[in-house]
Amino acid sequence: MGKKFVVPFGSQHIAIPEPIRFIFTTENEIIKSVSVDFGYVHRGIEKACMTRYKYTQVPYVVARVCGLCAVSQATAYCMAIESLMDIEIPERAKYLRIIVHEMDRIHSHLFAIAHLSEAAGYENLFMRVMRDREFVMECLEILTGNRIQADYSTIGGVNRDLTKEVYEILKPRLDELERRLYELKEIFERDYTLQKKWKGIGVITLEMAQKYNAVGPVARASGLATDCRVEFEYLPYKELDYKMVLYQEGDVWARNMVRLDETLVSIRVLKNAIDNLPEGDIKVKVKGNPKGEALIRWEAPRGELLYYVKGNGKSVLERLRIKTPTFSVIPVMKELYYNQPYAFVPDITISFDPCLSCSAR
Amino acid sequence: MKNFEEIQVSLSELREAIKRFYKPEEWHFITINGTDVGDGIEIKYFFAAYGKSKKVKAFSLKIDYNQTIPSIRDIIPSAWIAEEELKDLLGVNVEGTKGGIFLEPDSPQAPLRKEVKNG
Repeated sequence: MGKKFVVPFGSQHIAIPEPIRFIFTTENEIIKSVSVDFGYVHRGIEKACMTRYKYTQVPYVVARVCGLCAVSQATAYCMAIESLMDIEIPERAKYLRIIVHEMDRIHSHLFAIAHLSEAAGYENLFMRVMRDREFVMECLEILTGNRIQADYSTIGGVNRDLTKEVYEILKPRLDELERRLYELKEIFERDYTLQKKWKGIGVITLEMAQKYNAVGPVARASGLATDCRVEFEYLPYKELDYKMVLYQEGDVWARNMVRLDETLVSIRVLKNAIDNLPEGDIKVKVKGNPKGEALIRWEAPRGELLYYVKGNGKSVLERLRIKTPTFSVIPVMKELYYNQPYAFVPDITISFDPCLSCSAR
Repeated sequence: MKNFEEIQVSLSELREAIKRFYKPEEWHFITINGTDVGDGIEIKYFFAAYGKSKKVKAFSLKIDYNQTIPSIRDIIPSAWIAEEELKDLLGVNVEGTKGGIFLEPDSPQAPLRKEVKNG
């Protein structure tokens, strides 16, 4: 029987720039119990969307749920409404949504990879990944007008077209980004210290991932084949050579590698989408008010995002529900801490790429 | 149009229906959603089939504001977070929930109830 210590982690902690608090009880530095609290930044976004804003204004509100996956939030909402109101958007708009959505995934994943590198003490690698991330941030700005909070999707399509001039700028940048991503992959695959630090640490088995309903890269790093791009087919990914990335190890290492490999898949999908962009309109006009209910499962960078909408024929929705990916991985994260040394907590936590502002919304 | 399958259950049938249905290797538990419909709370338990296109099921029931619903966290261990949210944001009594994870004590309680006005 060793000494018991109660160790608070957060609500503000140097390893994670978002407000979450864990209270760990440790015995000889091994975690024996944990409690979690993450309600520090509830902003009432759902309430506002059900009382203050018309359903046509909501895409611009829900984009503020998250800075990193703003495109996912707004587009998922638009597609839930389009499903409810039986709106068929133009093929070109579908491809443009994929292009921006995958750019969103690349910069979000690179941010997570950089953050994990920094936590491992690799500040130079952090800076290198963030430097390469700038390529995709610039691409997003050229295409949408903003680096973040793009407000690109609207109900019925998208707000900006991809012109020939933009294509000429994007194409070489994507080639260069792809080259740099392969270089990064080689670094992560070969670095001895990172392998020692991350392999076999924080292992989530396939059974555990299923039992606690893990989503996104966390699930796929444990061999759980789940991806809303395949399971919900909300956009034509099949036409663009999309393939799911799966690892079996379930450790910190695998979660990082899933994200890195997924950036390469996203580049391939992006290039195919840009080169085969259908001609035509980018949006259709929307009339009437939503009545009934519908949902969409959307593969945001961190995993399954659910938008459930319920309308009663008025311009303001009766219910808007947002279930974010981090909301779904907190149960498995909490379970994973048991019997881990406290020293592994920062790496394990960051390997989940958690977004608490999203979850508290 | 509605794009998921809905199964209506009563409060007394809820646990047994989910217990019979749920297999963690086949079904992914998405979340629980509550909606204040004016004369009570409508609650839906959403599930998606692994690897099958667009297959989403919801177990649905309606309760009075003061009714207590049973917990399903012994059947689906990850459901605790959705049950805590239901308690905090809609004021639904769920067996075993303590509340206070999603809201601070000095914030408006059960903000998604219709009676709570947007400030």
